[in-house]
Amino acid sequence: MYDIAIIGKGPAGISAAITAHARNKKVIVFGGDSKKLLLSPSIPNYPGLMEIKGTEFVKRLNEHLASTDAVLSKKMVTAVYSMGGYFAIQAQNDMIEAKSVIIATGVDFKKSIENEDTFLGMGVSYCATCDAPLYRGKTVAVVGYNKESIEEANFLSEVCSKVYFISMTREPYNFNENVEVIKDIPVKFEGHMHAQKLILKNTEVVADGFFVIKDSYPLTSLVPGLDVDGPHVVVNRAMETNMKGVFAAGDVTGRPYQNAKAVGEGQVAALSAVDFLNGRDK
Amino acid sequence: MVSHVTDSTFNSEVLNSDKPVLVDFFATWCGPCKMLAPVIEEVAQKMEGEVKVVKLDVDENPQTSRMYGIMSVPTMVLFKDGKPVGKLVGFNPAERIESALRGALGI
Ligand SMILES: Cc1cc2nc3c(=O)[nH]c(=O)nc-3n(C[C@H](O)[C@H](O)[C@H](O)COP(=O)(O)OP(=O)(O)OC[C@H]3O[C@@H](n4cnc5c(N)ncnc54)[C@H](O)[C@@H]3O)c2cc1C
Repeated sequence: MYDIAIIGKGPAGISAAITAHARNKKVIVFGGDSKKLLLSPSIPNYPGLMEIKGTEFVKRLNEHLASTDAVLSKKMVTAVYSMGGYFAIQAQNDMIEAKSVIIATGVDFKKSIENEDTFLGMGVSYCATCDAPLYRGKTVAVVGYNKESIEEANFLSEVCSKVYFISMTREPYNFNENVEVIKDIPVKFEGHMHAQKLILKNTEVVADGFFVIKDSYPLTSLVPGLDVDGPHVVVNRAMETNMKGVFAAGDVTGRPYQNAKAVGEGQVAALSAVDFLNGRDK
Repeated sequence: MVSHVTDSTFNSEVLNSDKPVLVDFFATWCGPCKMLAPVIEEVAQKMEGEVKVVKLDVDENPQTSRMYGIMSVPTMVLFKDGKPVGKLVGFNPAERIESALRGALGI
């Protein structure tokens, strides 16, 4: 059992990990490198690192993180469940347990597809590796927003008879023969009891299952029970959420969307988590 | 111990049961299913007498899984008088399963 599970490896998550490590806590950090940082050409306002390139900042943050003994997992977290006294964290097909959680997933304004939430688990899935075996020999559709979605589509094409790939990404692809690429915009899922059809702007796709592969998930499905305000988690100055033992930091708590703010909040969240852990172990 | 049902015993064990039955559709390769196993045991103990709890391996029993449209594992389906009356998809803590069962059965 970990003391603190940190979801997100951007500046907020890494800052939280560094402070938690300094306080001797057993930490796991989920996620890949921050795409926002990788996209930042030059950061003019981070104190002490004038005009640092985003890619260079990522490298330095990772070096700092590597100097701690935090465990790293590249996997995406699909859900965090409060178990009454501890948390169960589902990262694709892994289940991990932790005494506290820090949400540092950044902010994403991409709208979900209509009915995506209604059909989640009923024909709509966020995780190919989790559900692929159930679709052996069947037809599935992947709505792909990132590089990982291309790998997932290829993985599915080895199990399924046919894969439609609705491309929402500019990443280059090299698909197996049974993958058909569709360039169109998803509008909504339709079906009776479970998703059967994806309506796109110009066409529609009928399939046995639909996989939506993207960089972040709606907070309401990520942490059931969490108090949210639009794309943000509601927190107080100690970065506590409405759920005991769950903290949040960085862009996910609201404006300003800035690195220095994310790093500061990550530290506060870690210290609050440490207080929480010390209080409960007494 | 929560017992297993199969395609061939589903009728007698689930559909013709005089008590409501919660079926945990699971797969051996699924992480959240493993996590759910002890939780399901706990629910079975707490609800003993009120609800019967069984498990079904979706890979070995494709017929039943297809019939009830299992598209994600774990999925829990509650059967009453031979009919599915409620569904919970994904891992859930014991409390949530219990309150869902009580809600669906009005107990
Ligand atoms: C082009 C651009 C330029 C910018 N310039 C500046 C600037 O000059 N100065 C400045 O201060 N700020 C700038 N920003 C903003 C800054 O990048 C963000 O404020 C900062 O990255 C927020 O950090 P964060 O840790 O909160 O989130 P992010 O950096 O967005 O990191 C989120 C992390 O969470 C992970 N994640 C998300 N969901 C999950 C999940 N379900 N499971 C596991 N992991 C998950 C992601 O993989 C990622 O690692 C800029 C942003 C952009 C896009």
